[in-house]
Amino acid sequence: MPMIFQYTYMQRALLVGCLLAVLVACLGTVMVHKRLSLIGDALSHSSLAGVALGLLGGFNPIVGAMATCLVAAFAIEGIRKKLGNHSELAVAIVLSTGIGLAGVLSGFVKSSADFNSFLFGSIVAISSFEMYLVSILAVVVLVAFLMLYKELFYISFDEQAAGISGVPVGAVNAIFTILTSVTISIAARTVGALIISSLMVVPVAAAMSIARSYKTTVLWAVFVAVASTLGGLVLSFYQGLKPGGTIVLISVGFFLLFRGIRLIREHGAQVGQKEG
Amino acid sequence: MDKVIEVKDLSFGYTKEKILEHVNFDVERGDFAAVIGDNGVGKSTMVKLLLGVLKPTEGEVRIEGKPLVSISKTKVGYLPQNSGTRAASFPATCEEIVMSSLYKEIGFARFPKKAHKEKVLSALEEVGMQDKAKALIGELSGGQQQRVMLARVLAGDPAILILDEPTTGVDSESVDRLLHILHHLNIEKQVTILMVTHDIDKVGPYANRVLCLSEGACSEEALPHASIVHAHSHAHSHGRDGSTHIHCANCEHEHKHDPSTCAECCHCDEYHEHGHHHEHGHDHQHDHHDGEEKRG
Repeated sequence: MPMIFQYTYMQRALLVGCLLAVLVACLGTVMVHKRLSLIGDALSHSSLAGVALGLLGGFNPIVGAMATCLVAAFAIEGIRKKLGNHSELAVAIVLSTGIGLAGVLSGFVKSSADFNSFLFGSIVAISSFEMYLVSILAVVVLVAFLMLYKELFYISFDEQAAGISGVPVGAVNAIFTILTSVTISIAARTVGALIISSLMVVPVAAAMSIARSYKTTVLWAVFVAVASTLGGLVLSFYQGLKPGGTIVLISVGFFLLFRGIRLIREHGAQVGQKEG
Repeated sequence: MDKVIEVKDLSFGYTKEKILEHVNFDVERGDFAAVIGDNGVGKSTMVKLLLGVLKPTEGEVRIEGKPLVSISKTKVGYLPQNSGTRAASFPATCEEIVMSSLYKEIGFARFPKKAHKEKVLSALEEVGMQDKAKALIGELSGGQQQRVMLARVLAGDPAILILDEPTTGVDSESVDRLLHILHHLNIEKQVTILMVTHDIDKVGPYANRVLCLSEGACSEEALPHASIVHAHSHAHSHGRDGSTHIHCANCEHEHKHDPSTCAECCHCDEYHEHGHHHEHGHDHQHDHHDGEEKRG
């Protein structure tokens, strides 16, 4: 058995990392196509405020992160509706509020090491509780994502037309918001609040370069996220690198590779057209 | 008279200032109604009111005789403005996009079945895009994208089709093709069409009615000069005057009061191929030409 699998903490890290990668890629695909790529940033930064509250109040920081994430997510939706043509400002306002609160509250946290572990995550120090929590969450989010696949597709494609066709847009958006908030707050503990939003967007951007349908975009995004996570964990284990950062950098590598493949493909098609 | 859209005393304003004021008009089953008007006069707003996306400050909209509560419970299909262009940046195949309109049939949190896939292919075939079912919509031309978006609406079997400037940003040849498809639907499938358009020169010959939205009011009395070239009747459709009435457009042949001449025109040939006959006579209503104003 390779050395990496001999350690329980690495077995947990690989399992939790892969499960989170699948979830984050599925949710990220919807988020990117709803043109809300930055929501991940706003929510993950807001989750830090919840972490600080948890550490200050003496309750589980993940619960605090979930609470502030949910409030932030619904605040974005609420502000977005009020701002009309400048709806993208809602994300910036919530992100700023979240990071401001986190900054102020973190000043009162006695153990700064505890707080900092949420910034870049501690995927190699996952407790049994966290492993079970992520596993249950993975099942719930995946089932919800598959059941609502066509509704989320339609809303991402054209929200107004989806509403006219009878899709319960408000309810589906609310479910999606809750799933995203819960996923981000849990992932902040493992992958890190500063990194989770990248993992939501970069695999999807890579997938969009190479996919030939919406379905294959989701599948490629999942592949890139899982491959980056596995690659990042293995590399960080053997090379002593920070796992969160390594995972994100590998996913950026996939993005560049897939863009290159796309350019070559497009160039080939152009040459073919000229010769034809 | 079978009114499928009734707009009664409709008023609306985004602020206190009203964009639409006491608008009244009806659209009857089988009509191909073109709605024209200057930019900013409220055409797209009116479409949103017809769809229930906006709520009128006064008045009401009735669809097939019933007050509009939820457009999703009616047989109205809607093709939004620039829908093809907006779809172009979305990484989905034509098949996936058309499938999305079958939401009501498939049901909440359920998966499509083989019958739904066949329906999608049939809708794509109707607009001549069956060969592109697996193609990414972003790789198609503007005209093709618009046809796919029309297929998306048609897959839902609409009895009434509302289109908001579907010819905008589409090349002339594609506009002709799109209008031909709509004309075919209007005659062959009795789909009632209400189309907001700036392109009245192209659309006019296909429409049996032209409604002009001007300074907040909608009327057939305020038509611009001479838009409709000619019209004639078919027995398979019932017109507003109780007689048979469906508009026939763009015939290449001069119409005389002889049914056989009409059968020579392009779409009528096509019509005959589908097993129908114009044996009920063509009481042609040649309301044309030479600069004379025609109200469909």
